[in-house]
Amino acid sequence: MAKLSMRERYSLLTRDLDWTPTYVDPKVVYPYTRYEGIKIHDWDAWEDPFRLTVDSYCKYQAEKDKKLYAVIESFAQGQGHLHLTDARYINALKIFLQGVTPLEYAAHRHFEYLARHLDGPGPRFAALCQSIDELRHTQTEIHTISQYNKYYSGLHSWSKMFDRVWYLSVPKSFFEDAITAGPFEFLTSISFSFEYLLTNLLFVPFMSGASFNGDLATMTFGFSAQSDESRHMTLGVGALKFLLEQDEANVPIIQDWLDKWFWRGYRLLSLVAAMMDYMLPKRFMSWKEAFELYFEEQMMNGLFPDLEYYGIRPPRHLEQAITEKDYMSHQVYWLLYTFSHAASFNTTIPGPDELDWLSASYPDTFDRHYRPLWDRAQRLADSGHRFFFRGLPTLCQTCQIPMTFTEPGDMDTISIRGTEFRGEHFNFCSDGCKWIFDREPEKYVQAWLPVHQIYQGNCGGATIPEVLAWYGIQNGADNGEYLTSPDKASWDQWKAAAQMGASR
Amino acid sequence: MTVKALYEYDYPSRDRQENFGADLLVNVQWVNNPLFGAPACFRAPKTMPWADFKAQLIDPWAASDPDYDPAAPKDWQVVGGQAIDPGANPALGDTGVAHKGIIIFQT
Repeated sequence: MAKLSMRERYSLLTRDLDWTPTYVDPKVVYPYTRYEGIKIHDWDAWEDPFRLTVDSYCKYQAEKDKKLYAVIESFAQGQGHLHLTDARYINALKIFLQGVTPLEYAAHRHFEYLARHLDGPGPRFAALCQSIDELRHTQTEIHTISQYNKYYSGLHSWSKMFDRVWYLSVPKSFFEDAITAGPFEFLTSISFSFEYLLTNLLFVPFMSGASFNGDLATMTFGFSAQSDESRHMTLGVGALKFLLEQDEANVPIIQDWLDKWFWRGYRLLSLVAAMMDYMLPKRFMSWKEAFELYFEEQMMNGLFPDLEYYGIRPPRHLEQAITEKDYMSHQVYWLLYTFSHAASFNTTIPGPDELDWLSASYPDTFDRHYRPLWDRAQRLADSGHRFFFRGLPTLCQTCQIPMTFTEPGDMDTISIRGTEFRGEHFNFCSDGCKWIFDREPEKYVQAWLPVHQIYQGNCGGATIPEVLAWYGIQNGADNGEYLTSPDKASWDQWKAAAQMGASR
Repeated sequence: MTVKALYEYDYPSRDRQENFGADLLVNVQWVNNPLFGAPACFRAPKTMPWADFKAQLIDPWAASDPDYDPAAPKDWQVVGGQAIDPGANPALGDTGVAHKGIIIFQT
């Protein structure tokens, strides 16, 4: 048999293997693609972005894996972790690995579900490829965890922590919100909003942070995932345009989902904002600059004029995100700093150079509002009172972040929004989170809020040490102040030993 | 708007009052102290006198700031509700604060 072209192989091995059921009603075979109100008239109009077959997909991925594991191996043998700018950097990595690795796995599971339940063979196959990608990313991230877990604290129980620890309930509840929605809302939330609209604000900061700070293991993972991520972006924007083109009645439904998932994703990324501005010993860009470049310029000026053609407008509450870019990272890192006694990472006060960098990056807000706060934190620390918030915070019912965000443009007043549903009171950090609750209150009343769970007696006990033990956090090692942490002590010892070795 | 689902979608709230028996969850915010980046959440009996609530729960938390003076808090107010008069020493449940409601104060 003559060798087939890629296109022919793709056509024979994916679309041509599909058939239309005649003994059973297609609605029974594909029960989940109608109830959300989305109308699809022609599944074949879905343009597959990849045109891959299973054999070619496996071949590419195997080659990437081979390269990645070779680098990780040499990283392990050459004590690659000692080439980091500083051990403090690992705390940024901990947030990424604790928060994102389980999300990759959840994405793997849900794309597998889509690979079964979408009516068209093209999208089913695209979802299958993405499902396998996500599993591969989970595995490569676990290998990265394993490298750092040999030398640093906080990474030993990442999977248990994801299900239990308060700040990890932020990414966990975000993703569970998406996977408990219908397949089309999931495509809009994860494939489009998260993997296209906001992806550069998640991956670029972590990967550039890794590259600037000598973290070869994470950088290599990033490179290995990059071609997968660009496929996921293509799938996300392709899915969105397909849904918009199929029926005009889909437009308002999609707009509503975009409004919701922009704000959900944006609030989740506040953890990235804090990481970028405070947790990288060597910085490459401020959150404000990243938001302006990757969101305002690329998405608002690049993508949305395109989507206007379909009747899609910029997401609701966008103007609040733009206002917050001048101060949001400071508020969230302060939260991490004051609650790190209950977290599986260490934090510390920014050094003098870092405070100057923050002043220069945030000329309108930092010196007026946040430098005085850090000066006060320094005075307290110097007098032996390193500040910790000795209590449990009020959480937003929707995003589950402690209620730290302020009224838009007013950095002195914490924004408090409330709603009553069936006679019960609920708290929110913002208009966006309240709006999301109000459109589906039956869903969010079920939220597993870590603080309320502690008070219901479901988290190991009533005292902080009991709760930390239940979280899997080793009190005194994984948590608290960086300067007095075991990570810092080991790092100083290794560096001193390396210096002695060099001078010999 | 309600949740779109293939079945009747109706579940109880996870933090409804009955899950806390005779207690309330009450949030407290020290509004003019930026060291506290969020309000704090407490669990306390509805019948607890205000003075006990303050001394046993609010004071130890507010003392995270070593400069805290227990005599300094004033202008107690339920967010979206009435002012609280600490002198009258009302039971927590009689302050008008709802389960999961927020009380603010200044110093």
